[in-house]
Amino acid sequence: MRKGNSVTWRLMAFGLLGAAGLLAQEIPLTSVRVNFPPDSPVTLLSTSMGQSRATPRGSAVVLDLDMLLTLRNAGHNRIRAVTLRVISQEVALGGKASVAVPSLNVGPGEAFPLHVSLQLMRPGQMMGGPLVQVDLDGVLFQDLSFFGPDRLNSRRTMTAWEMEAQRDREYFRRILSQSGQEGLQRAMLASLARQAELPALDVRVSRGRATVSSAALPADRTEQFAFLDFPNAPIEPVNGWAQISGNEVSAPRISVRNQSSRPVKYVEIGWLVRDQSGRTYMAASLPSAESDLYLPPGKTTRVLQDTALKFTHRGEPVNIRGMTGFVNQVQFADGAVWVPNRQNLQDARLLGVMAPSPEEQRLSNLYRTQGINALIADLRKF
Amino acid sequence: MKHPSQETLALQAGGDLGFYARWVTGRHVAQCEVCRKNLAAFRAVREIASELNEIPEVPWNRLAAEMKANIRLGLAAGECVRAEETPLRDSPLFSGARVVVALASVMALLVAGLVLEHPAPGNTPYEGVVVQTTADGIQVREGGQALRLTHPGASNVTYSAGAQGSLRARFVDPETGYVTVNNVSYAEGE
Repeated sequence: MRKGNSVTWRLMAFGLLGAAGLLAQEIPLTSVRVNFPPDSPVTLLSTSMGQSRATPRGSAVVLDLDMLLTLRNAGHNRIRAVTLRVISQEVALGGKASVAVPSLNVGPGEAFPLHVSLQLMRPGQMMGGPLVQVDLDGVLFQDLSFFGPDRLNSRRTMTAWEMEAQRDREYFRRILSQSGQEGLQRAMLASLARQAELPALDVRVSRGRATVSSAALPADRTEQFAFLDFPNAPIEPVNGWAQISGNEVSAPRISVRNQSSRPVKYVEIGWLVRDQSGRTYMAASLPSAESDLYLPPGKTTRVLQDTALKFTHRGEPVNIRGMTGFVNQVQFADGAVWVPNRQNLQDARLLGVMAPSPEEQRLSNLYRTQGINALIADLRKF
Repeated sequence: MKHPSQETLALQAGGDLGFYARWVTGRHVAQCEVCRKNLAAFRAVREIASELNEIPEVPWNRLAAEMKANIRLGLAAGECVRAEETPLRDSPLFSGARVVVALASVMALLVAGLVLEHPAPGNTPYEGVVVQTTADGIQVREGGQALRLTHPGASNVTYSAGAQGSLRARFVDPETGYVTVNNVSYAEGE
């Protein structure tokens, strides 16, 4: 009897394995097209497709692409960041995706890997031709010069990351010089502790107002923003409101004034929300909606978005009781980017709420994995 | 004069012909020297063949008897074995193990059906274009279509939303060791 059962289970296992094998198909390398301009300072050395596969689900097909691209700096300048645009013509009409690697320090002729892991779900069966196209959107160099079509405004984003990186490297170098190795160690441990305790929100962003809201949550109300004051910020928030319905915030609008002496073309307001227990979360950033914004010194404009954001924390709706805004990023008309300094963040107690900069994340990870000597050596590199 | 055939003579030698054929053949043989000699030859062969049964080195009869006995023994043994097993028709249609296997198969079919049909685009209520966090990544979704960037194996992932309709996930990629920023968006820029 036992032998009979064993045979039965083996047959079932073989059947299931066989069925799984029939369902999942490997995706060929030709399914991905990587396009770099002929004069690109970054060239593609190799592409590995790893565990990429296509699996039918009902009338849809799910494509799992796990690509490891090996790129090479073919230029004469050190690369600090790269952004690749990932598009699928047939999936999520109007939707875009990108993968960026900030905080790089890749010299001429050096190679570096870039990992793209994505999943596409679309109706119908797997067709021939490329499923995904990967384009170069931009490369930022050490001297803040840029190469690329910049369709995703990656120049501004990567420049802001680089400004934050310079700020944080300077901060940790100063700690090293003033407090020595032990001081740097304490700063790194504090950074790692903040990252581990960072309150995380799950967010869902949709255009306009969501149609469904929970009946158990309070009715709509208009909530006014409070603002953090950064004395050195080129932009001053004047006032602002948003509609709140339980865990959903919609139609945020904030008036800002250019208090600098230079014209501004982009403003981004950081947006904090407070729940009923008094806990504060970094909810979102609110960028200026106009792509051709030009705000002369002393003038005022409105930063607004026709959008709805829904927040949950560990699966539970976050009942929003208050909102705070602060100036998070400003780009001047000449392309220069302003970010808050370390003192701004510390005074406003934002360090425990905001994610660290990519550079601080890299440095703390370097300390965690390779130790204090590797960190000090890295800080002395540039 | 027509002679009987060799077959008829052989049958005559063994006494296997019918009454009339035996009488006719006997009358012919009595008058025909050639056929009488052939008949005598057939009778001699029959005597030799019957003597072979008695040769001790080739015990044909004993061999035949043993073969019959073995066949009977086999049949008897088969009966004994069958008597110990529960006859198939007397067992209940669904015994314990069979019920488990049958139910597991039915459940597997149901679950597979539900899983396979669940993400069918036709069944998803339309909510417009949505960007959102998922269990292992971030995605931009419209109806049954979705583009998701995942971060397998990464820990301490930080998410940041852009109110213009974008979502970022930042993490240290365990495969490359680099800080990586995934971004999905339905907006114009990043």
